[in-house]
Amino acid sequence: MNEYIQRFSVRQRIEHFTVMVLFLMLGLTGFAQKFFDAPWAVWTITMIGGIDRVRWLHRAAGITFTVFAIFHISIGLFMVLTRRSRPSMIASRKDFLDAITQLRYYLRISDKPASFDRFDYRQKFEYWGMVLGGMLMIATGFMLLYPVIVTRFLPGQFIPVARVAHSNEGLLAFLIVIIWHVFNAHLSPEAFPFDPSIFTGKVTREYMEKEHPLEYARIMGQTEEKQEAQTHEVP
Amino acid sequence: MSRKLFQYLAVLVGLMIVTGVHAAPAAPDPPSNDDCLKCHGKPEATAKLADGEAMSIYVDSDSFAHSVHGGKLACTNCHTNITALPHPPRQFKDRRAMSLAYYESCKQCHFAEYTRLLDGVHYAALEKGKEKAPTCVDCHGSHAMGHPARPRMHISETCAKCHTGVGAAYAKSAHAAGLAKGNPDVPVCTDCHRAHDNSNPMTTASHLRISDLCAHCHTNEKLMAKYGISTDVLTTYLSDFHGLTASFYRSEGLKPAQLTATCTDCHGVHDITWVKGPGSGVIKANLLLRCQHCHKGAGPNFSSAWMGHYEPSLRHAPLVYLAKLFYMFFIPFVVGGLVIQILLHLWRMVVNI
Repeated sequence: MNEYIQRFSVRQRIEHFTVMVLFLMLGLTGFAQKFFDAPWAVWTITMIGGIDRVRWLHRAAGITFTVFAIFHISIGLFMVLTRRSRPSMIASRKDFLDAITQLRYYLRISDKPASFDRFDYRQKFEYWGMVLGGMLMIATGFMLLYPVIVTRFLPGQFIPVARVAHSNEGLLAFLIVIIWHVFNAHLSPEAFPFDPSIFTGKVTREYMEKEHPLEYARIMGQTEEKQEAQTHEVP
Repeated sequence: MSRKLFQYLAVLVGLMIVTGVHAAPAAPDPPSNDDCLKCHGKPEATAKLADGEAMSIYVDSDSFAHSVHGGKLACTNCHTNITALPHPPRQFKDRRAMSLAYYESCKQCHFAEYTRLLDGVHYAALEKGKEKAPTCVDCHGSHAMGHPARPRMHISETCAKCHTGVGAAYAKSAHAAGLAKGNPDVPVCTDCHRAHDNSNPMTTASHLRISDLCAHCHTNEKLMAKYGISTDVLTTYLSDFHGLTASFYRSEGLKPAQLTATCTDCHGVHDITWVKGPGSGVIKANLLLRCQHCHKGAGPNFSSAWMGHYEPSLRHAPLVYLAKLFYMFFIPFVVGGLVIQILLHLWRMVVNI
Protein backbone atom coordinates (compact mmCIF):
# COMPACT_ATOMS: atom_id res chain seq x y z
CA MET A 1 0.00 0.00 0.00
CA ASN A 2 1.11 3.51 -0.82
CA GLU A 3 2.53 5.42 2.12
CA TYR A 4 1.04 8.65 0.77
CA ILE A 5 -2.54 9.70 0.31
CA GLN A 6 -3.68 12.29 -2.22
CA ARG A 7 -5.27 15.10 -0.21
CA PHE A 8 -5.42 18.06 -2.60
CA SER A 9 -6.18 18.10 -6.31
CA VAL A 10 -4.05 19.95 -8.85
CA ARG A 11 -6.72 22.64 -9.12
CA GLN A 12 -6.73 23.17 -5.36
CA ARG A 13 -2.95 23.39 -5.27
CA ILE A 14 -2.91 25.95 -8.07
CA GLU A 15 -5.63 27.91 -6.28
CA HIS A 16 -3.68 27.94 -3.05
CA PHE A 17 -0.50 29.01 -4.74
CA THR A 18 -2.22 31.81 -6.67
CA VAL A 19 -4.06 33.08 -3.63
CA MET A 20 -0.82 33.01 -1.66
CA VAL A 21 0.98 35.14 -4.25
CA LEU A 22 -1.97 37.51 -4.64
CA PHE A 23 -2.36 37.79 -0.88
CA LEU A 24 1.28 38.78 -0.45
CA MET A 25 1.04 41.27 -3.28
CA LEU A 26 -2.22 42.78 -2.04
CA GLY A 27 -0.83 42.91 1.48
CA LEU A 28 2.36 44.64 0.43
CA THR A 29 0.71 47.20 -1.84
CA GLY A 30 -2.25 47.63 0.50
CA PHE A 31 -0.37 48.12 3.76
CA ALA A 32 2.04 50.51 2.07
CA GLN A 33 -1.05 52.65 1.47
CA LYS A 34 -2.62 52.01 4.88
CA PHE A 35 0.57 52.91 6.76
CA PHE A 36 1.62 55.62 4.28
CA ASP A 37 3.41 57.56 7.02
CA ALA A 38 5.77 54.76 7.99
CA PRO A 39 9.29 54.87 6.56
CA TRP A 40 9.04 51.29 5.28
CA ALA A 41 5.84 52.19 3.42
CA VAL A 42 7.42 55.22 1.79
CA TRP A 43 10.43 53.08 0.89
CA THR A 44 8.25 50.34 -0.59
CA ILE A 45 6.22 52.78 -2.65
CA THR A 46 9.37 54.46 -3.92
CA MET A 47 10.92 51.10 -4.81
CA ILE A 48 7.83 49.99 -6.71
CA GLY A 49 7.91 53.27 -8.61
CA GLY A 50 5.31 55.61 -7.20
CA ILE A 51 1.88 55.62 -5.62
CA ASP A 52 0.11 55.36 -8.98
CA ARG A 53 1.93 52.17 -9.84
CA VAL A 54 1.35 50.73 -6.36
CA ARG A 55 -2.37 51.38 -6.77
CA TRP A 56 -2.38 49.89 -10.24
CA LEU A 57 -0.73 46.72 -8.95
CA HIS A 58 -3.10 46.56 -5.99
CA ARG A 59 -6.12 46.88 -8.26
CA ALA A 60 -4.80 44.41 -10.81
CA ALA A 61 -4.14 41.88 -8.04
CA GLY A 62 -7.55 42.60 -6.53
CA ILE A 63 -9.34 42.02 -9.82
CA THR A 64 -7.38 38.78 -10.36
CA PHE A 65 -8.32 37.72 -6.84
CA THR A 66 -11.97 38.44 -7.65
CA VAL A 67 -11.81 36.28 -10.77
CA PHE A 68 -10.28 33.42 -8.77
CA ALA A 69 -12.88 33.82 -6.03
CA ILE A 70 -15.74 33.62 -8.52
CA PHE A 71 -14.12 30.62 -10.18
CA HIS A 72 -13.55 28.92 -6.84
CA ILE A 73 -17.06 29.43 -5.55
CA SER A 74 -18.70 28.47 -8.86
CA ILE A 75 -16.72 25.27 -9.18
CA GLY A 76 -17.32 24.42 -5.53
CA LEU A 77 -21.06 24.90 -5.89
CA PHE A 78 -21.07 22.94 -9.14
CA MET A 79 -19.17 20.01 -7.59
CA VAL A 80 -21.39 19.86 -4.54
CA LEU A 81 -24.68 20.35 -6.37
CA THR A 82 -23.89 17.69 -8.96
CA ARG A 83 -22.74 15.38 -6.14
CA ARG A 84 -19.29 15.06 -7.61
CA SER A 85 -17.93 16.04 -4.26
CA ARG A 86 -18.92 15.99 -0.62
CA PRO A 87 -19.61 19.42 0.94
CA SER A 88 -16.69 18.84 3.26
CA MET A 89 -16.06 22.52 4.00
CA ILE A 90 -19.59 23.25 5.19
CA ALA A 91 -19.61 24.05 8.89
CA SER A 92 -21.91 21.75 10.82
CA ARG A 93 -23.16 21.04 14.32
CA LYS A 94 -20.29 18.59 14.64
CA ASP A 95 -17.72 21.39 14.24
CA PHE A 96 -19.32 23.29 17.07
CA LEU A 97 -19.30 20.19 19.27
CA ASP A 98 -15.71 19.42 18.18
CA ALA A 99 -14.63 22.84 19.35
CA ILE A 100 -16.19 22.21 22.77
CA THR A 101 -14.68 18.70 22.96
CA GLN A 102 -11.29 20.12 22.03
CA LEU A 103 -11.59 22.90 24.58
CA ARG A 104 -12.44 20.35 27.28
CA TYR A 105 -9.39 18.38 26.18
CA TYR A 106 -7.17 21.46 26.29
CA LEU A 107 -8.41 22.34 29.75
CA ARG A 108 -7.85 18.72 30.87
CA ILE A 109 -11.50 18.23 31.68
CA SER A 110 -11.43 15.29 29.31
CA ASP A 111 -8.57 13.18 27.98
CA LYS A 112 -10.00 12.59 24.56
CA PRO A 113 -9.37 15.16 21.82
CA ALA A 114 -11.97 15.64 19.12
CA SER A 115 -11.52 13.49 16.03
CA PHE A 116 -11.91 15.23 12.74
CA ASP A 117 -13.17 14.54 9.26
CA ARG A 118 -11.57 16.03 6.15
CA PHE A 119 -11.35 19.52 7.63
CA ASP A 120 -11.32 20.30 11.32
CA TYR A 121 -13.14 23.26 12.86
CA ARG A 122 -10.00 25.40 12.84
CA GLN A 123 -9.46 24.86 9.13
CA LYS A 124 -13.13 25.59 8.45
CA PHE A 125 -12.89 28.74 10.51
CA GLU A 126 -9.91 29.90 8.52
CA TYR A 127 -11.49 28.92 5.22
CA TRP A 128 -14.77 30.71 5.88
CA GLY A 129 -12.92 33.67 7.34
CA MET A 130 -11.03 33.83 4.09
CA VAL A 131 -14.14 33.45 1.93
CA LEU A 132 -16.32 35.91 3.85
CA GLY A 133 -13.46 38.31 4.46
CA GLY A 134 -12.48 37.99 0.82
CA MET A 135 -16.03 38.80 -0.26
CA LEU A 136 -16.02 41.86 1.99
CA MET A 137 -12.64 42.91 0.58
CA ILE A 138 -13.89 42.46 -2.98
CA ALA A 139 -17.10 44.41 -2.32
CA THR A 140 -15.41 47.29 -0.49
CA GLY A 141 -12.51 47.27 -2.94
CA PHE A 142 -14.85 47.81 -5.86
CA MET A 143 -16.68 50.51 -3.91
CA LEU A 144 -13.39 52.35 -3.52
CA LEU A 145 -12.45 51.77 -7.13
CA TYR A 146 -15.76 53.03 -8.53
CA PRO A 147 -17.10 55.57 -6.02
CA VAL A 148 -18.98 57.51 -8.70
CA ILE A 149 -21.00 54.46 -9.77
CA VAL A 150 -21.51 53.16 -6.23
CA THR A 151 -22.88 56.47 -4.93
CA ARG A 152 -25.58 56.41 -7.58
CA PHE A 153 -27.16 53.65 -5.50
CA LEU A 154 -25.72 54.07 -2.02
CA PRO A 155 -25.22 57.04 0.34
CA GLY A 156 -21.90 58.82 -0.01
CA GLN A 157 -20.83 57.95 3.51
CA PHE A 158 -20.56 54.31 2.43
CA ILE A 159 -17.32 55.18 0.61
CA PRO A 160 -15.36 56.16 3.75
CA VAL A 161 -17.06 53.24 5.51
CA ALA A 162 -15.76 50.98 2.74
CA ARG A 163 -12.31 52.45 3.24
CA VAL A 164 -12.37 51.72 6.99
CA ALA A 165 -13.73 48.22 6.39
CA HIS A 166 -11.28 47.43 3.56
CA SER A 167 -8.34 48.68 5.56
CA ASN A 168 -9.25 46.94 8.82
CA GLU A 169 -10.49 43.71 7.28
CA GLY A 170 -7.23 43.56 5.36
CA LEU A 171 -5.30 43.99 8.58
CA LEU A 172 -7.38 41.29 10.25
CA ALA A 173 -6.80 38.88 7.35
CA PHE A 174 -3.10 39.60 7.51
CA LEU A 175 -2.96 39.01 11.28
CA ILE A 176 -4.93 35.77 10.96
CA VAL A 177 -2.59 34.51 8.28
CA ILE A 178 0.53 35.58 10.16
CA ILE A 179 -0.55 34.19 13.51
CA TRP A 180 -2.92 31.37 12.73
CA HIS A 181 -2.00 30.02 9.34
CA VAL A 182 1.73 30.34 9.80
CA PHE A 183 1.44 28.61 13.18
CA ASN A 184 -0.65 25.76 11.85
CA ALA A 185 1.33 25.24 8.66
CA HIS A 186 4.83 25.99 9.91
CA LEU A 187 5.40 26.55 13.61
CA SER A 188 3.14 24.04 15.33
CA PRO A 189 5.03 20.99 16.54
CA GLU A 190 2.94 18.80 14.21
CA ALA A 191 3.86 20.76 11.10
CA PHE A 192 7.26 22.23 11.93
CA PRO A 193 9.10 23.40 9.93
CA PHE A 194 6.76 23.21 6.98
CA ASP A 195 3.68 21.27 6.01
CA PRO A 196 4.15 20.83 2.26
CA SER A 197 0.88 19.01 1.58
CA ILE A 198 -0.86 21.98 -0.10
CA PHE A 199 2.02 22.17 -2.59
CA THR A 200 2.62 18.45 -3.17
CA GLY A 201 -0.99 17.44 -2.69
CA LYS A 202 0.09 14.43 -0.67
CA VAL A 203 0.02 13.60 3.01
CA THR A 204 1.34 10.59 4.85
CA ARG A 205 -0.95 7.84 6.00
CA GLU A 206 0.26 8.49 9.53
CA TYR A 207 -0.77 12.15 9.28
CA MET A 208 -4.24 11.20 8.07
CA GLU A 209 -4.73 8.69 10.86
CA LYS A 210 -3.79 11.27 13.43
CA GLU A 211 -5.29 14.50 12.11
CA HIS A 212 -8.25 13.39 10.02
CA PRO A 213 -9.20 9.92 11.35
CA LEU A 214 -12.83 10.07 10.24
CA GLU A 215 -11.90 10.86 6.65
CA TYR A 216 -9.17 8.25 6.72
CA ALA A 217 -11.60 5.62 7.88
CA ARG A 218 -14.04 6.61 5.15
CA ILE A 219 -11.39 6.47 2.44
CA MET A 220 -10.16 3.13 3.64
CA GLY A 221 -13.72 1.83 3.65
CA GLN A 222 -14.20 2.94 0.08
CA THR A 223 -10.85 1.63 -0.98
CA GLU A 224 -11.71 -1.79 0.29
CA GLU A 225 -15.02 -1.71 -1.50
CA LYS A 226 -13.96 -0.12 -4.77
CA GLN A 227 -10.19 -0.30 -4.85
CA GLU A 228 -10.28 3.34 -5.84
CA ALA A 229 -8.50 6.17 -4.19
CA GLN A 230 -11.20 8.61 -3.31
CA THR A 231 -13.67 11.08 -4.65
CA HIS A 232 -12.64 14.60 -5.34
CA GLU A 233 -13.22 16.88 -2.50
CA VAL A 234 -14.15 20.52 -2.46
CA PRO A 235 -12.99 23.05 -2.33
CA MET B 1 59.48 88.35 3.23
CA SER B 2 56.96 90.65 4.87
CA ARG B 3 59.28 93.56 4.29
CA LYS B 4 59.46 92.80 0.60
CA LEU B 5 55.71 92.64 0.45
CA PHE B 6 55.46 95.98 2.26
CA GLN B 7 57.85 97.58 -0.21
CA TYR B 8 55.87 96.20 -3.11
CA LEU B 9 52.60 97.47 -1.73
CA ALA B 10 54.08 100.90 -0.99
CA VAL B 11 55.25 101.23 -4.59
CA LEU B 12 51.92 100.04 -5.88
CA VAL B 13 49.92 102.49 -3.75
CA GLY B 14 52.27 105.30 -4.70
CA LEU B 15 51.83 104.55 -8.40
CA MET B 16 48.08 104.46 -8.01
CA ILE B 17 48.01 107.86 -6.36
CA VAL B 18 50.32 109.45 -8.94
CA THR B 19 48.58 108.03 -12.01
CA GLY B 20 45.17 108.66 -10.51
CA VAL B 21 45.87 112.33 -10.03
CA HIS B 22 47.13 112.67 -13.59
CA ALA B 23 44.52 110.51 -15.31
CA ALA B 24 41.35 111.91 -13.72
CA PRO B 25 41.28 115.45 -12.57
CA ALA B 26 38.93 115.85 -9.59
CA ALA B 27 35.40 115.00 -10.77
CA PRO B 28 32.98 117.91 -10.46
CA ASP B 29 30.28 117.49 -7.83
CA PRO B 30 27.18 115.87 -9.31
CA PRO B 31 24.23 118.19 -9.72
CA SER B 32 22.22 118.74 -6.54
CA ASN B 33 18.48 118.11 -6.25
CA ASP B 34 17.92 121.84 -6.50
CA ASP B 35 19.91 121.97 -9.74
CA CYS B 36 17.66 119.27 -11.22
CA LEU B 37 14.49 120.94 -10.04
CA LYS B 38 15.39 124.10 -11.93
CA CYS B 39 14.03 122.28 -14.98
CA HIS B 40 12.22 119.25 -13.55
CA GLY B 41 10.39 121.24 -10.91
CA LYS B 42 8.26 122.99 -13.52
CA PRO B 43 4.86 121.26 -13.80
CA GLU B 44 4.63 122.01 -17.52
CA ALA B 45 8.05 120.52 -18.34
CA THR B 46 7.88 117.81 -21.00
CA ALA B 47 10.31 115.88 -23.16
CA LYS B 48 9.63 114.49 -26.58
CA LEU B 49 9.92 110.73 -26.97
CA ALA B 50 10.77 108.98 -30.20
CA ASP B 51 7.15 107.80 -30.56
CA GLY B 52 6.03 111.41 -30.53
CA GLU B 53 4.68 111.47 -26.99
CA ALA B 54 5.40 114.61 -25.03
CA MET B 55 6.13 112.98 -21.68
CA SER B 56 5.97 115.04 -18.51
CA ILE B 57 9.37 115.23 -16.86
CA TYR B 58 8.01 117.09 -13.86
CA VAL B 59 9.03 115.81 -10.41
CA ASP B 60 6.90 116.95 -7.49
CA SER B 61 9.56 117.80 -4.92
CA ASP B 62 7.00 117.69 -2.10
CA SER B 63 5.84 114.17 -2.82
CA PHE B 64 9.47 113.08 -3.22
CA ALA B 65 10.31 114.63 0.13
CA HIS B 66 7.47 112.61 1.69
CA SER B 67 8.44 109.39 -0.04
CA VAL B 68 10.49 106.66 1.64
CA HIS B 69 13.59 108.03 -0.03
CA GLY B 70 12.87 111.67 0.78
CA GLY B 71 15.83 113.29 2.52
CA LYS B 72 17.91 110.17 1.98
CA LEU B 73 18.64 110.05 -1.72
CA ALA B 74 19.68 112.61 -4.26
CA CYS B 75 18.30 112.54 -7.83
CA THR B 76 21.68 111.42 -9.15
CA ASN B 77 21.80 108.42 -6.82
CA CYS B 78 19.30 106.76 -9.10
CA HIS B 79 19.84 108.79 -12.25
CA THR B 80 23.51 107.88 -12.16
CA ASN B 81 24.22 108.82 -15.76
CA ILE B 82 23.59 112.52 -15.05
CA THR B 83 26.97 113.84 -13.98
CA ALA B 84 26.93 117.42 -15.19
CA LEU B 85 24.41 120.00 -16.23
CA PRO B 86 23.07 120.66 -18.69
CA HIS B 87 22.86 116.94 -19.48
CA PRO B 88 22.55 115.77 -23.06
CA PRO B 89 18.98 114.97 -24.10
CA ARG B 90 18.14 111.30 -23.46
CA GLN B 91 16.73 109.31 -26.31
CA PHE B 92 13.97 106.82 -25.55
CA LYS B 93 11.76 104.94 -27.97
CA ASP B 94 8.80 105.33 -25.66
CA ARG B 95 7.78 105.67 -22.05
CA ARG B 96 8.30 101.91 -21.40
CA ALA B 97 11.84 102.01 -22.78
CA MET B 98 12.63 104.71 -20.26
CA SER B 99 11.30 102.69 -17.33
CA LEU B 100 13.24 99.66 -18.46
CA ALA B 101 16.40 101.74 -18.77
CA TYR B 102 16.16 102.76 -15.12
CA TYR B 103 15.00 99.71 -13.17
CA GLU B 104 18.51 98.44 -12.57
CA SER B 105 19.26 101.57 -10.54
CA CYS B 106 17.44 100.05 -7.59
CA LYS B 107 19.85 97.15 -7.25
CA GLN B 108 22.59 99.53 -6.09
CA CYS B 109 20.93 99.42 -2.69
CA HIS B 110 18.25 96.68 -2.96
CA PHE B 111 20.47 93.96 -4.30
CA ALA B 112 18.77 91.09 -2.44
CA GLU B 113 15.37 92.00 -3.85
CA TYR B 114 16.89 92.40 -7.27
CA THR B 115 18.43 88.92 -7.28
CA ARG B 116 15.16 87.44 -6.05
CA LEU B 117 13.41 89.18 -8.90
CA LEU B 118 15.76 87.39 -11.30
CA ASP B 119 14.29 84.09 -10.05
CA GLY B 120 10.70 85.18 -10.56
CA VAL B 121 8.17 84.79 -13.36
CA HIS B 122 8.07 88.52 -14.05
CA TYR B 123 11.74 88.70 -14.87
CA ALA B 124 11.48 85.53 -16.94
CA ALA B 125 8.82 87.27 -19.04
CA LEU B 126 10.92 90.39 -19.35
CA GLU B 127 13.88 88.32 -20.44
CA LYS B 128 11.76 86.80 -23.20
CA GLY B 129 11.19 90.32 -24.49
CA LYS B 130 7.79 90.95 -22.96
CA GLU B 131 8.25 94.63 -22.22
CA LYS B 132 5.05 94.87 -20.21
CA ALA B 133 6.44 92.57 -17.54
CA PRO B 134 6.73 94.59 -14.34
CA THR B 135 10.00 95.90 -13.01
CA CYS B 136 10.65 97.60 -9.66
CA VAL B 137 8.91 100.89 -10.38
CA ASP B 138 5.76 99.29 -11.80
CA CYS B 139 4.89 97.94 -8.38
CA HIS B 140 6.71 100.36 -6.10
CA GLY B 141 6.27 103.61 -8.02
CA SER B 142 9.11 106.01 -8.54
CA HIS B 143 9.47 109.43 -6.97
CA ALA B 144 6.46 109.28 -4.69
CA MET B 145 7.22 105.78 -3.48
CA GLY B 146 5.66 104.84 -0.13
CA HIS B 147 6.21 101.76 2.02
CA PRO B 148 4.99 98.88 -0.16
CA ALA B 149 2.91 97.31 2.61
CA ARG B 150 1.42 100.38 4.25
CA PRO B 151 -1.45 100.07 4.33
CA ARG B 152 -1.36 96.30 3.77
CA MET B 153 -4.19 96.57 1.30
CA HIS B 154 -1.79 98.44 -0.94
CA ILE B 155 -0.19 95.10 -1.86
CA SER B 156 -3.33 93.54 -3.28
CA GLU B 157 -4.16 96.77 -5.07
CA THR B 158 -0.71 96.85 -6.61
CA CYS B 159 -1.01 93.35 -8.08
CA ALA B 160 -4.56 94.01 -9.22
CA LYS B 161 -3.32 96.81 -11.45
CA CYS B 162 -2.32 94.15 -13.96
CA HIS B 163 -4.01 91.01 -12.56
CA THR B 164 -7.48 92.50 -12.79
CA GLY B 165 -9.41 89.23 -12.96
CA VAL B 166 -7.60 87.76 -10.01
CA GLY B 167 -7.92 91.04 -8.16
CA ALA B 168 -11.67 91.06 -8.65
CA ALA B 169 -11.94 87.43 -7.52
CA TYR B 170 -9.81 88.10 -4.47
CA ALA B 171 -11.91 91.13 -3.59
CA LYS B 172 -14.89 88.79 -3.11
CA SER B 173 -13.01 86.47 -0.77
CA ALA B 174 -13.18 86.11 2.98
CA HIS B 175 -9.54 87.11 3.11
CA ALA B 176 -10.15 90.40 1.27
CA ALA B 177 -13.09 91.17 3.57
CA GLY B 178 -10.73 90.89 6.53
CA LEU B 179 -8.11 92.96 4.76
CA ALA B 180 -10.59 95.75 4.14
CA LYS B 181 -11.21 95.88 7.90
CA GLY B 182 -7.49 96.21 8.48
CA ASN B 183 -7.15 92.67 9.84
CA PRO B 184 -3.44 91.78 9.78
CA ASP B 185 -4.13 88.00 9.93
CA VAL B 186 -5.44 87.56 6.43
CA PRO B 187 -3.16 86.81 3.50
CA VAL B 188 -2.55 89.24 0.66
CA CYS B 189 -1.15 88.24 -2.74
CA THR B 190 2.47 88.16 -1.64
CA ASP B 191 1.83 85.84 1.32
CA CYS B 192 1.13 83.00 -1.08
CA HIS B 193 2.87 84.18 -4.26
CA ARG B 194 5.86 85.92 -2.65
CA ALA B 195 6.88 89.44 -3.53
CA HIS B 196 9.90 89.27 -5.83
CA ASP B 197 10.66 85.67 -6.68
CA ASN B 198 7.10 84.70 -7.53
CA SER B 199 7.15 81.27 -9.12
CA ASN B 200 4.74 80.09 -11.75
CA PRO B 201 1.63 79.00 -9.85
CA MET B 202 0.35 76.87 -12.72
CA THR B 203 2.99 74.15 -12.55
CA THR B 204 2.48 70.71 -11.02
CA ALA B 205 5.11 71.47 -8.39
CA SER B 206 3.25 74.63 -7.36
CA HIS B 207 -0.05 72.78 -7.23
CA LEU B 208 1.46 70.20 -4.91
CA ARG B 209 2.78 72.93 -2.59
CA ILE B 210 -0.59 74.64 -2.14
CA SER B 211 -1.55 72.67 0.97
CA ASP B 212 1.63 73.93 2.61
CA LEU B 213 0.75 77.53 1.81
CA CYS B 214 -2.72 77.24 3.32
CA ALA B 215 -1.51 75.16 6.24
CA HIS B 216 0.97 77.84 7.17
CA CYS B 217 -1.90 79.79 8.74
CA HIS B 218 -4.62 77.14 8.94
CA THR B 219 -2.66 74.89 11.28
CA ASN B 220 -1.78 77.79 13.57
CA GLU B 221 -4.00 77.07 16.56
CA LYS B 222 -3.71 80.51 18.11
CA LEU B 223 -4.63 82.21 14.87
CA MET B 224 -7.47 79.88 13.93
CA ALA B 225 -9.01 79.90 17.41
CA LYS B 226 -9.87 83.56 16.83
CA TYR B 227 -12.14 82.57 13.97
CA GLY B 228 -13.38 79.20 15.22
CA ILE B 229 -11.69 77.40 12.32
CA SER B 230 -10.50 73.83 12.82
CA THR B 231 -6.76 73.22 12.60
CA ASP B 232 -7.38 69.57 11.63
CA VAL B 233 -7.85 70.63 8.03
CA LEU B 234 -4.37 69.61 6.96
CA THR B 235 -4.17 66.24 8.71
CA THR B 236 -7.67 65.24 7.60
CA TYR B 237 -6.72 66.17 4.05
CA LEU B 238 -3.37 64.38 4.12
CA SER B 239 -4.76 61.17 5.58
CA ASP B 240 -7.53 60.96 3.01
CA PHE B 241 -7.18 59.76 -0.55
CA HIS B 242 -6.47 63.11 -2.24
CA GLY B 243 -3.93 64.31 0.30
CA LEU B 244 -2.16 61.00 0.50
CA THR B 245 -1.82 60.96 -3.26
CA ALA B 246 -0.57 64.54 -3.35
CA SER B 247 2.06 63.79 -0.68
CA PHE B 248 3.45 60.93 -2.70
CA TYR B 249 3.36 62.86 -5.97
CA ARG B 250 5.40 65.52 -4.24
CA SER B 251 8.00 63.23 -2.73
CA GLU B 252 8.30 61.19 -5.93
CA GLY B 253 9.03 64.26 -8.01
CA LEU B 254 7.50 62.49 -11.02
CA LYS B 255 4.98 64.15 -13.25
CA PRO B 256 1.69 62.48 -12.38
CA ALA B 257 -0.73 61.59 -15.17
CA GLN B 258 -3.48 63.46 -13.38
CA LEU B 259 -3.38 65.94 -10.54
CA THR B 260 -5.22 65.22 -7.34
CA ALA B 261 -7.43 67.72 -5.54
CA THR B 262 -5.81 70.16 -3.16
CA CYS B 263 -7.24 72.97 -0.99
CA THR B 264 -7.88 75.39 -3.84
CA ASP B 265 -9.60 72.84 -6.06
CA CYS B 266 -12.53 72.72 -3.66
CA HIS B 267 -12.29 76.03 -1.82
CA GLY B 268 -11.44 78.18 -4.82
CA VAL B 269 -8.16 79.83 -5.65
CA HIS B 270 -8.64 83.52 -4.96
CA ASP B 271 -12.34 83.78 -4.20
CA ILE B 272 -12.12 81.63 -1.08
CA THR B 273 -15.22 82.25 0.98
CA TRP B 274 -16.24 81.40 4.52
CA VAL B 275 -17.14 77.71 4.29
CA LYS B 276 -20.37 78.08 6.21
CA GLY B 277 -21.65 81.09 4.30
CA PRO B 278 -24.53 80.64 1.85
CA GLY B 279 -22.39 81.44 -1.18
CA SER B 280 -19.68 78.97 -0.22
CA GLY B 281 -18.54 76.63 -2.93
CA VAL B 282 -18.03 73.82 -0.46
CA ILE B 283 -21.27 73.75 1.50
CA LYS B 284 -23.29 70.64 0.72
CA ALA B 285 -25.49 72.35 -1.86
CA ASN B 286 -22.53 73.46 -3.96
CA LEU B 287 -19.84 70.91 -3.21
CA LEU B 288 -21.01 68.40 -5.80
CA LEU B 289 -20.22 70.86 -8.58
CA ARG B 290 -16.65 70.99 -7.32
CA CYS B 291 -16.45 67.18 -7.19
CA GLN B 292 -17.83 66.86 -10.69
CA HIS B 293 -15.02 68.97 -11.98
CA CYS B 294 -12.82 65.86 -11.75
CA HIS B 295 -15.32 63.06 -11.03
CA LYS B 296 -17.40 63.26 -14.18
CA GLY B 297 -20.87 61.86 -13.77
CA ALA B 298 -20.89 61.99 -9.97
CA GLY B 299 -24.42 61.90 -8.61
CA PRO B 300 -25.97 63.82 -5.71
CA ASN B 301 -24.80 61.28 -3.10
CA PHE B 302 -21.20 61.50 -4.18
CA SER B 303 -20.09 64.61 -2.33
CA SER B 304 -20.95 63.17 1.08
CA ALA B 305 -18.23 60.56 0.49
CA TRP B 306 -15.93 63.36 1.62
CA MET B 307 -16.15 63.84 5.38
CA GLY B 308 -15.62 67.58 5.24
CA HIS B 309 -12.35 67.66 7.22
CA TYR B 310 -14.09 66.11 10.22
CA GLU B 311 -12.71 63.17 12.11
CA PRO B 312 -15.54 60.62 12.10
CA SER B 313 -17.70 60.82 15.22
CA LEU B 314 -21.30 60.06 16.18
CA ARG B 315 -22.18 63.51 14.91
CA HIS B 316 -20.08 63.59 11.75
CA ALA B 317 -20.04 60.45 9.61
CA PRO B 318 -21.48 58.14 12.32
CA LEU B 319 -21.31 55.04 10.11
CA VAL B 320 -17.60 55.53 9.60
CA TYR B 321 -17.15 56.06 13.32
CA LEU B 322 -19.09 52.88 14.12
CA ALA B 323 -17.16 50.86 11.55
CA LYS B 324 -13.90 52.03 13.13
CA LEU B 325 -15.21 51.23 16.59
CA PHE B 326 -16.32 47.78 15.48
CA TYR B 327 -12.89 46.86 14.19
CA MET B 328 -11.26 48.31 17.27
CA PHE B 329 -12.91 45.50 19.21
CA PHE B 330 -13.32 42.87 16.51
CA ILE B 331 -9.65 42.61 15.52
CA PRO B 332 -8.31 42.09 19.09
CA PHE B 333 -11.22 39.72 19.78
CA VAL B 334 -10.48 37.44 16.81
CA VAL B 335 -6.71 37.64 17.08
CA GLY B 336 -6.85 37.15 20.85
CA GLY B 337 -9.06 34.11 20.39
CA LEU B 338 -6.62 32.58 17.93
CA VAL B 339 -3.67 33.22 20.21
CA ILE B 340 -5.49 31.58 23.12
CA GLN B 341 -6.30 28.55 20.93
CA ILE B 342 -2.63 28.27 19.93
CA LEU B 343 -1.43 28.60 23.52
CA LEU B 344 -3.92 26.02 24.76
CA HIS B 345 -2.86 23.66 22.02
CA LEU B 346 0.81 24.04 22.89
CA TRP B 347 0.16 23.80 26.61
CA ARG B 348 -1.75 20.56 26.20
CA MET B 349 1.05 19.12 24.11
CA VAL B 350 3.56 20.00 26.78
CA VAL B 351 1.34 18.45 29.43
CA ASN B 352 1.03 15.25 27.37
CA ILE B 353 4.80 14.86 27.34
